[in-house]
Amino acid sequence: MSDLRSSIENAESHRKRWPWVAGVAVLAVLLAGGIGFAVTRDGSASEAAAGDGQPVRGGTLQFALIDYQRSPDPQLGTNYAESLIGNNVTDKLTWQDPDTGEITPWLAESWEYNTDLTQFTFHLRKDVTFSDGTPFDSAVVKANFDQYVHGDDKLGINPNGAVLLPGYIETQTPDAYTAVVTFAKPLASFLQASSFTANAQPGFLSLSTLARSAEERTDPTKVIGTGPFVYESWEEQVKTVLVKRTGYNWAPPSIKHQGEAYLDKVVFNTIPEASVRTGSLASGTIDATLDVGTTDEKPLKDQGFKIISRSVSGTAIYFNFNSQRFPTNDIAVRKAIQLGWDRSAVEKTVLTDSYSIATSVLNKSVKGYVDYSGSVLKYDPDQAKKLLDDAGWKPGTDGIRAKDGKRLEVKLLGISNLVANKPAYESVQQDLSKIGIDLQLTVVPIPDYTALIAKAKTDFNATAANRSRNDAAALNLVYNPSLGNSSYLEQGVSTGIDVAEVTDALGKLETTLDPAKRNEYAKTAQDLLLEKYALVNPVYNPSQVIAHADYVHNIIFDAQSRNHFVDAWKSNGK
Amino acid sequence: MIRYVALKVGRAVFVVWAAFTVTFVLLFVLPANPVDLLFDPTELNSIPPEVRAQVAENYGFNKPVLLQYADRLGHALIGDFGNSVQSGRPVIAAILDVLPSTLILASAALVLATLIAFAIALVATATRRPWLRNLVEALPSGAVSVPVFLSGILILQVFSFQLGWFPSFGDNGVQSLILPLITLAVPVAGPIAQLLVRSFATEFGAGYVTTSWAKGATRGRIIVHDVFRNAGLPALTIAGVTFGNLIAGSVITETVFARRGLGRMTQTAINTLDVPLVAGIVVLVAVTFALINLTVDLIYPVLDPRLRASLTAGVS
Repeated sequence: MSDLRSSIENAESHRKRWPWVAGVAVLAVLLAGGIGFAVTRDGSASEAAAGDGQPVRGGTLQFALIDYQRSPDPQLGTNYAESLIGNNVTDKLTWQDPDTGEITPWLAESWEYNTDLTQFTFHLRKDVTFSDGTPFDSAVVKANFDQYVHGDDKLGINPNGAVLLPGYIETQTPDAYTAVVTFAKPLASFLQASSFTANAQPGFLSLSTLARSAEERTDPTKVIGTGPFVYESWEEQVKTVLVKRTGYNWAPPSIKHQGEAYLDKVVFNTIPEASVRTGSLASGTIDATLDVGTTDEKPLKDQGFKIISRSVSGTAIYFNFNSQRFPTNDIAVRKAIQLGWDRSAVEKTVLTDSYSIATSVLNKSVKGYVDYSGSVLKYDPDQAKKLLDDAGWKPGTDGIRAKDGKRLEVKLLGISNLVANKPAYESVQQDLSKIGIDLQLTVVPIPDYTALIAKAKTDFNATAANRSRNDAAALNLVYNPSLGNSSYLEQGVSTGIDVAEVTDALGKLETTLDPAKRNEYAKTAQDLLLEKYALVNPVYNPSQVIAHADYVHNIIFDAQSRNHFVDAWKSNGK
Repeated sequence: MIRYVALKVGRAVFVVWAAFTVTFVLLFVLPANPVDLLFDPTELNSIPPEVRAQVAENYGFNKPVLLQYADRLGHALIGDFGNSVQSGRPVIAAILDVLPSTLILASAALVLATLIAFAIALVATATRRPWLRNLVEALPSGAVSVPVFLSGILILQVFSFQLGWFPSFGDNGVQSLILPLITLAVPVAGPIAQLLVRSFATEFGAGYVTTSWAKGATRGRIIVHDVFRNAGLPALTIAGVTFGNLIAGSVITETVFARRGLGRMTQTAINTLDVPLVAGIVVLVAVTFALINLTVDLIYPVLDPRLRASLTAGVS
């Protein structure tokens, strides 16, 4: 086709070089330069003199995490960013000591309750004010609890606290600094709920905030709390900026912090990509990051960063067995699963020092925890095989057991939100296949999990999740047949289980605040769930892990492992 | 001519309506319940039914599906998409808030992508060295094959973490635009370059080029003056596809670089089944898509005399 053209062109005399060639060469050099510029960084992270000396005032903490707040309203929340930031903008009635689990004063100086545990009287501090200058008093407590539990249709506010405060009737205000909260039935866990710092928390908002609609509350300057920090700005998806509240002087006495926060400003940067979070920390763009992956811990530590963590109080990551569906309706299968996997393998290959293997359905930090690592929660494949043999499960040709022609397939539904979940479950899966159990995993993101959980009663043998609540009553919420009923207990249908016994044992947790009695009830509940009926196979205790530069100090993990920055400071003076 | 315009406009309106309807249907076919997603996933079992009902009523999710559809469509027609289920903000405000970031990123990326595409096409056409032509012609498929998240992280690794030339996240000014811009431009440039390389080659072999040669024009003059204009035009026809690529690429680019924007908002809105927000975004994207195609359809006859002639002939 272009023969003619080519011949004309080729017949031409030789002329100057094409400028294109030069262009390409430049481009290529640039590209090669970019790729080849793999400069190895030297680990000079320790620029500022560290040392836990005298706290320094001032500075901005650049903090990174995966999630972002969907709304600055702290009473709404299903993710970590929401609860974390809410905790620094609002205060609670009480503070739960993360080490002892004890409930200590905060906005309430003291409290008492009736013997039924249906009525709680709080005596409030008199010197507390909101950042708009209005006082914190019993009317505020009442207005907050009323809206928190009932929601407000006109304002578009959901009943965020209805799950935390079941049976809430009203709050009375005999005087300006006394609030009396009444429930329809005993609710021992309310005392802990009054300190609750996780999702959808009861942090106090000013009366002016409560009168605003959900839409108006997306203006962060309209969301007023009593906390050590005040909203400066909120950019959905990007960041939330908090500034120090001047005149703050009511940190929980037990954390021993006097006066205002040390930092001038905290910036919560939302960075969804793990490698970008760690890269930004390593390059000094941010001072600290949450959501550190298990594989990133060691490299960051080697570069001189500090890793701090706290196991999430509440339940461990558990496999809750479906007591109705074949084959987990057979207690031998449930017990065999508890005994059938090697804890040390998960510990070595999946977890880091920040995490731990579950030794009960409760985390060690929850009052009433009992250690079962010596009895049912240990690796004993021979015992597991014997249990299955005795129950009539015969090994098939593919190594998986069967009974009456039906294979021993256990279908598990789990959430992939924590990085360690899937690998941990896979390790369990491998071990179980060795004793003839085919554990089939469906580990999916939260929206899919939410969709599938509706069918879990009929389609799955186990659901894997955890519940973040530093109180033994969490067991009641999760397993009580009249509440969460995660094991799908039903008298007559759940073979061999006395449902009334379980209901009664779990319900008792809400009937006393006497430490000795409560521990006793907690033990009974754990005995039933783990030993007698084997309704749950706890796997590991999840953790919240932060990596920070060595000039950052005193980031507090509270009883629900959320962070408070009132006592945090930076020694590099920036 | 009027019939041609009416036909094209009608098609654009249909596309927008269809997008709205399909989105609505899809969100309702999905098994998850938008109300459930407002609660902690591990607490789902313990939410009292009356609380669930109250929340559903708050958002109108308790009404019959057809009624909800009619209601939403009616409001959408007057530009009211309601409030986001998750944040409570008006959908329009939420979108307008993030739109500028995405627009800046996307238009800058489009300009860069076009430059890259034309550079590739020009080099491939102009060079007389076969190895160079082959190399350059392989670039477009290469550009499309590298996943955006991978190239984004590589670029970050080198220019932000190692060299420290650019910030690694956020959107503060021009500095933080450069890396996402390059990341997004590369895959978008691919299809355009592919198309241009082909049309440049075709045009370069055309008869009028031979005529120019014969008249003694230089190779450079022919490429710039004769071929460029004729071969550049077909790039317009894939404007719609390019727009789609930009939106798709922005979802990942905005996530990797932690920028706010429409792409990231779309992703979270779908994940949380935020029906009003998804509907708002889809309609916006569909309208834009339809407008782009409509403009191309309408402008093409103006640019291409041959098409104009056949149109007038058809009408008269």
